[in-house]
Amino acid sequence: MIENFIAGTTALFGDPFTIGIFVFGVIGGMLFGAIPGVSMLTLAAILLPFTAGLEPAQGVMLFAVIYCTGTYGGAITAILFNIPGSPENAPTAFDGYPMTQKGQSGKAVGAAVLCSAIGGVASALVMMAATEPLANWAIRNIGPPEIFALVFFGLAVASSVGARTIWKGWMSVLIGLLIATIGQDPVGGINRYNFGLTDLAAGIAFVPAILGFFAVSEIFVQAEKTASGKYKAPKVSMTFPSFLELWMHKIAVLRSIIVGFLCGILPGIGATLAAFMSYGEAVRWSKNKDEFGKGKMEGVISAETANNAATGAAMIPLLALGLPGGALTAMMVAVFQMHDLQPGPLVFMLSPDLIWIVFAAMFYANLSILLIGLLETKTILNLLKIPFQFLAPLILMLATTGAYISRGLVLDVMVMFLAGILGYLLRRSGFSIPGIVLGLILGKIGEQNFAQGMQMVHYDLATYFSRPICSILILAGVLTLGSSIYRAFATAK
Amino acid sequence: MKRLFGTAAIVAVMATAGTASAFECKRSEASMEKPGGFPERALTMIVPYGPAGGSGQVAAAMAEAVTELTGIPINRDHKPGGSGTVGMTAYMAAPADGYNVLEHIDDASSAHALDSSLPNPATDLIPLVTSQVTFSQIYIRTNETRYTDWPSFVEWVKAQDGKATIANVSKEGSMERVTMKFITDASGMSIQQISFDKGAPRYGALLGGQVDALFEQPGDVRNFLDANQFKPILTIFDERPDAFADTPTHREMGMDFDPLLRFRGFYVHADAPADRVEWLKWAFQRGYCEDSYHAFNESKFMTVIDSYRDTDGAKDLIMRSIDQYREVYKAMGLDVK
Repeated sequence: MIENFIAGTTALFGDPFTIGIFVFGVIGGMLFGAIPGVSMLTLAAILLPFTAGLEPAQGVMLFAVIYCTGTYGGAITAILFNIPGSPENAPTAFDGYPMTQKGQSGKAVGAAVLCSAIGGVASALVMMAATEPLANWAIRNIGPPEIFALVFFGLAVASSVGARTIWKGWMSVLIGLLIATIGQDPVGGINRYNFGLTDLAAGIAFVPAILGFFAVSEIFVQAEKTASGKYKAPKVSMTFPSFLELWMHKIAVLRSIIVGFLCGILPGIGATLAAFMSYGEAVRWSKNKDEFGKGKMEGVISAETANNAATGAAMIPLLALGLPGGALTAMMVAVFQMHDLQPGPLVFMLSPDLIWIVFAAMFYANLSILLIGLLETKTILNLLKIPFQFLAPLILMLATTGAYISRGLVLDVMVMFLAGILGYLLRRSGFSIPGIVLGLILGKIGEQNFAQGMQMVHYDLATYFSRPICSILILAGVLTLGSSIYRAFATAK
Repeated sequence: MKRLFGTAAIVAVMATAGTASAFECKRSEASMEKPGGFPERALTMIVPYGPAGGSGQVAAAMAEAVTELTGIPINRDHKPGGSGTVGMTAYMAAPADGYNVLEHIDDASSAHALDSSLPNPATDLIPLVTSQVTFSQIYIRTNETRYTDWPSFVEWVKAQDGKATIANVSKEGSMERVTMKFITDASGMSIQQISFDKGAPRYGALLGGQVDALFEQPGDVRNFLDANQFKPILTIFDERPDAFADTPTHREMGMDFDPLLRFRGFYVHADAPADRVEWLKWAFQRGYCEDSYHAFNESKFMTVIDSYRDTDGAKDLIMRSIDQYREVYKAMGLDVK
């Protein structure tokens, strides 16, 4: 492995043009990842035709690098302005933005930079060491019933995040789950709650909903404070987390790497579920659950470590089996095919050089997050000095553009503003925005896998529970749910 | 290594055989004068699916080919969702000036067959070209030991008393579900269909043994065929394509139904200016002949059978498909509007 890694590194940095492509990918991924709506997928789609003119290794490497840095890019806007660059950065905003409001923006951004790099590097190392056996294990042991059980397990703690009471936390999750049912059902393709609107048949898209619930509702909250004279601009802090502070979160980092990696390795799942699941696990294992959603650094650490840990893991089924984990890895299949290659077992035998250049590039791209992230952070933090009356319209403009541009539908802009208004009213009443978003995102994934799982077990729940991983996860979810209900009653007394 | 060489050689022979029999450029004019200067700016191609799937890829390949040929850029606007209905609605609302074209698949025909208020791709639109036509197959794992061919598969499925599973995209009225109904009715077996809307989980389900078989088109699983991981046991087409000479067709296995084909093509509004439509027909039909597009189709097994239909051929294919779907929907008791 070491020899191959050195050979990949030499090939990567031995050619100025290849270095140029690497640097372009690192910076382009970060920039496009940071702008809401214009995600790394947009950049990848633009670049796809141009990769035909590159060497196969250069083309695949460029996409792998964009994947790593693009996943991190959206964390900065999530932390500073409550605008997640993409759905996998949404859990970063749960605690990152409250940290900014508490004058701890430097710590939040620093933690995000460092943990993104750690998560990415760790998963790149595991990817290099054991791609083929891990891919084979995952597809043999994890099917739709297990993925549904994983989602159920994750949702079981969602009520604890950010709501005034556990009951309101559960109501928030249920609202999210209800919104997730809008659109065609994932198995039969039957329209639900679309009120005859064709555009709603596709369901509520994540990006406009997240922008509305986070960014727009926040503008309303701050505008209300400004109108009542209570607005206080967040203090700009350049203080990065100390080594001791980060060391205290070593278990959270390790846990998030494992969770992120496990979610990333599942075909069709990827970084979004990884970030949400990891955040949920941080809450589950914490002694101070009530602090989540209010500016706890562990929340930022868990989400950002996991979403980057998922990047290396998502390459495993792609490279070993030809199974892309998400839209960007699916585009990588197209890059392979443009050069008459097919990802899968043969590529390890036929093109080992390509594989190791990609592995090396992903390793160094994750290290670059650390370097460039720390360099850019001090400049970016100064954006917080912009007065609210200028910042608010800027954020609204950016969010509106982001909501529209992802699918080019006016409906998405309307959804964003409706989500903003709903989010504002629910926040005033003590409901949890993270809970709603968790319900929305996990609900869609969970419903699809539940339906597929039920078909696989012929609608027999007993068979469902006969699958060991599935039954363990559901049992653990039920226990969490039970303890949550017990705590709710105990608190009420 | 020996197995690897053997697989690669088989694939090469398959691709060559298909190419020789099915690729032919049928639009001879290498150039065409622009009518009134049209187009004087970039075209917009609405694609009702994401950029990474089969439609996204064929849209990108055709856009590249047409741009190579004409020098006119084509911006692709992806509007996924609702099994293609979101993109179709957006296209029908776009100006019918010839600057907007649409990529769509046979789902548009089956949707119209079920609900005639939805656009008919053959009459409400003008097909510029159908550039991919393919058939479906049933696949099993190559290392499967419980059954090895279609007869042993049917026998095994019957013994499972409805508990055998097959992965496909079994949304109501889809080509996959209708074809599976034909197959199960004709073979007298009952099999549980598991619907996966994305390719990767669907293929992973077969690879990992989560399901017993897979319903798919050969171009979408080419890498698994190349790697000798999947094996076709039934071709749902009237004759054996050269590339799959060892795989029996459904008719050979005693199933007497007309196969439904998967097709992808390009369209323009029916009320777009006629001279512009003629130019677009030339550009897209000739784009099919470009080397880059040919190479793309070959990589997708789309030269195994004739993938090309001009406007009239495409209309014929669409209308026949609509009639066929409508009959089946009625027989299935679906609410045909």
